[in-house]
Amino acid sequence: MKARVVALCVVLMGGVVGLQALHEHRGGPPASTSTNLLYVRSPEAMRRLALSYDALLADTYWIRAVQHFGETRRSTESTNRYDLLFPLLDLTVSLDPYFNVPYQFGAIFLAEEPPGGPGRPDLAIALLEKGLKAQPEKWEFAQAIGFVHYWSRQDYPEAAAWFAKAARFPNAPNWMAPLAATTLAVGGSRESSRQLWRQVAESEDAGDWFRREAGRRLQQLDAMDQIDQLQRAVSSYAARTGRQASGWGELNQAGYLRGNPVDPTGVPYRIDAGVVGLDRQSRLNPLPTAGVKIGLPQ
Amino acid sequence: MDAISTESLTKHYHVGFWRPRPYLALDGLSLSVRQGEVFGFLGPNGAGKTTTLKLLMQLIYPTSGRAEILGKPVGDVGVKRRIGYLPENPYFYDHLTAEELLEYFAGLFGYSGQDRRRRIEMLLDEVGIGPERRLQLRKFSKGMLQRVGIAQSLINDPEVVFFDEPMSGLDPLGRREIRHLILKLRDRGCTVFFSSHVLSDAETLCSRVAVLAGGRLVAAGDLSELLAFQVRGWEIVVVGLTDSDLEKLKTDGVVTHAIPLGPQRFALDLPLTVEPARLATSLTAQGVQLVSINPVRETLEDFFVRQIGTAPKDRGLGTVAR
Amino acid sequence: MRTIRHVAVNVFKECVRDKVLYNLVAFASLLIAVSYLLGQLTAGQDVKIVKDLGLAAIAIFGLLISVFIGIGLVWKEVERRSIYGLLSKPIRRSEFIIGKYAGLALTLFVNVAVMTVVFYAVLAYLNTQFPEVVRTAWPAPATDPGMLRAIVLIFVELLLVTAIALFFSTFSSPFLSAALTCGLWVIGHFNADLRNFEAVVESRPAALLARGLYYILPNFAAFDIKNQVVHALPVPAGYVVTTALYGCVYIALLITGAVAIFSRRDFK
Repeated sequence: MKARVVALCVVLMGGVVGLQALHEHRGGPPASTSTNLLYVRSPEAMRRLALSYDALLADTYWIRAVQHFGETRRSTESTNRYDLLFPLLDLTVSLDPYFNVPYQFGAIFLAEEPPGGPGRPDLAIALLEKGLKAQPEKWEFAQAIGFVHYWSRQDYPEAAAWFAKAARFPNAPNWMAPLAATTLAVGGSRESSRQLWRQVAESEDAGDWFRREAGRRLQQLDAMDQIDQLQRAVSSYAARTGRQASGWGELNQAGYLRGNPVDPTGVPYRIDAGVVGLDRQSRLNPLPTAGVKIGLPQ
Repeated sequence: MDAISTESLTKHYHVGFWRPRPYLALDGLSLSVRQGEVFGFLGPNGAGKTTTLKLLMQLIYPTSGRAEILGKPVGDVGVKRRIGYLPENPYFYDHLTAEELLEYFAGLFGYSGQDRRRRIEMLLDEVGIGPERRLQLRKFSKGMLQRVGIAQSLINDPEVVFFDEPMSGLDPLGRREIRHLILKLRDRGCTVFFSSHVLSDAETLCSRVAVLAGGRLVAAGDLSELLAFQVRGWEIVVVGLTDSDLEKLKTDGVVTHAIPLGPQRFALDLPLTVEPARLATSLTAQGVQLVSINPVRETLEDFFVRQIGTAPKDRGLGTVAR
Repeated sequence: MRTIRHVAVNVFKECVRDKVLYNLVAFASLLIAVSYLLGQLTAGQDVKIVKDLGLAAIAIFGLLISVFIGIGLVWKEVERRSIYGLLSKPIRRSEFIIGKYAGLALTLFVNVAVMTVVFYAVLAYLNTQFPEVVRTAWPAPATDPGMLRAIVLIFVELLLVTAIALFFSTFSSPFLSAALTCGLWVIGHFNADLRNFEAVVESRPAALLARGLYYILPNFAAFDIKNQVVHALPVPAGYVVTTALYGCVYIALLITGAVAIFSRRDFK
């Protein structure tokens, strides 16, 4: 009796394992789409539905927003549109208006051009203005609006106006007024951009991801300087020898430089038909469109 | 063939979580019950009566030993068709009515239709469950559940019934009814095996008894042969006895002890030498009213104390082995 | 067989008397209320949301019944000692266990069936609320019979959960049984992560252990094709059949174990 029960159990366990193996062999459950869908888009309705848990719900939406952003950025589909980024951030800050990270996050990434973001500076500004309405003493929001105008719209007078506005906030840092002046004077210069990002990278209250992003921007600016230098070398080599260098080796032999130049993340630069650029593998891609955005010295 | 027979039936329980110690609930019980008799299984609380009944119903498995019912090993489904069992303090399904419970159990025996319904009606009448048979059992009192329990044990017209404390939870009237029911079962040829810690239950019902204490059989046999249980004296309750008459009875040695219960109302202890009927007649002639006469006996506990010297307490295996 | 059926019917009767079927009212109210309110909150996605919510609610309501009644099935009889009277009747302990299981399976079947009918009724009503031009844009019709495949697998999953609850309740307390059952359910839904565990850990024994657990623990994730049917994605019939078979074999294993344990048990 006992032996029979044990034997039966062994046979059944074998069946379980076998079927599980078959399940795996066939590649698991049939493919499913994880279509992103936001059931409730109205912040007003959501706040009512949240009862007393609006802060908790805000956290949930914040996590969803970050995940949505990350997933879209990683996805290889050409149609990644970041459709839900604004509604999710908007819901988050509506539920918890004092939750500051989503404003900053939105300021950077809503304005970012595809494929890095939806390319919607207007929405970034809308989100920040909402923040200013909720917390009128936050000079950071005013600065961030100026930032969006500066970086994404290259509207330097507007950016300078916002920086000046931020400088008038009672608790604004003292570098804000010079920033406004620089922006107005040499708007779009690489140096003023660098100054802008350095403030972010060194600020205490910015989140890790925000500082990291600022660090990346600074590296991009450095890379642009280096590319300019290298490009000058490549051009003068071409002018002297009458042919385009096909690799760094030729330039080394000609004494223009020593070793293979690498970008600030350690990835070698490439020369393609006489034009110096980032390797496709580099994390710094894509560089801000040179000349238009950052105002290369002409 | 015996109705019930056990041979060195033994059950240990393990008590204690970290260091389980064996606890001897039943120690080598050998017993046989003849078909058609009413057999009393006596013993104080915790003697092992319920353990024995559970072993016979195979609700628990013996550590060693053997038990048979109607010549087949316990647990045999064929045997279960021919027996009935009333658990101690029975409890059934809250959501069923008394009728539905019996229908459920009857269905397990394969009874159906008109026959089943008639049998259920009859049984519930027999144990004295009236119109409340249509109520859910959650509304039943302890005594009523006891009656339902007896009814369900008889659903299959069993050849052997096992009653665990059938009288508990019943009022005096109920006890009498159950006594009558047991005798009726005996007259039908049914073997009745019942446990009790009350000696008088056994006296009025059984021919043979077994007495259990501390998990061991201490006496078995015909009740009348067990001299231990003989009457030691009488207790009578009277009304209208004057103090002077009481003093006289005391000095004559007729009354050993008197407890006043109220004005002119006494409980009197008589030694065995006094014939209670004669005293009653003479007292009645003096205008004294007789309320009750009861024999005074040794209790089961007295019996055990005398049988084994001390009341059994320690039942660890080590002690038993020594 | 007759005995098993008899016990099963009694379990069903107990569930009905204990008002378990009231959850159907809750289910229907939830679905109707949500489909009414959705129009106010969202634009155009009503049918998809009702489908998502309906399937999830069938699974969750069923899960609650499976766990909380499953753990009490055997335990209650032992604890309240009603099993004493029952086991003295001509019934084997194995028949008792299988009958109890069958009774709860019957209750679950009735529950899931009624919930399915309500579900399709609400969808059929919603269908009339949209013009033809909107309906043609949906990936699947509102009352797509293909969703029954997901419901079948939900039902098998519930049967498996019930078997787990019953198995644990033959030897442990209800609280522990509930915790263990819910624990297995959660782990079973993260089953794929166990499979990927070896990619993450360095240690070979840990990877092997994860692999072993992946094969042995119930793979509840396999039963979840709710998302696929809502979007009318292809789910081969073979997949439904093998997954259901997997569930049935696992149930048989658990019931065998439960019977083996229960048959040796003392009722003190």
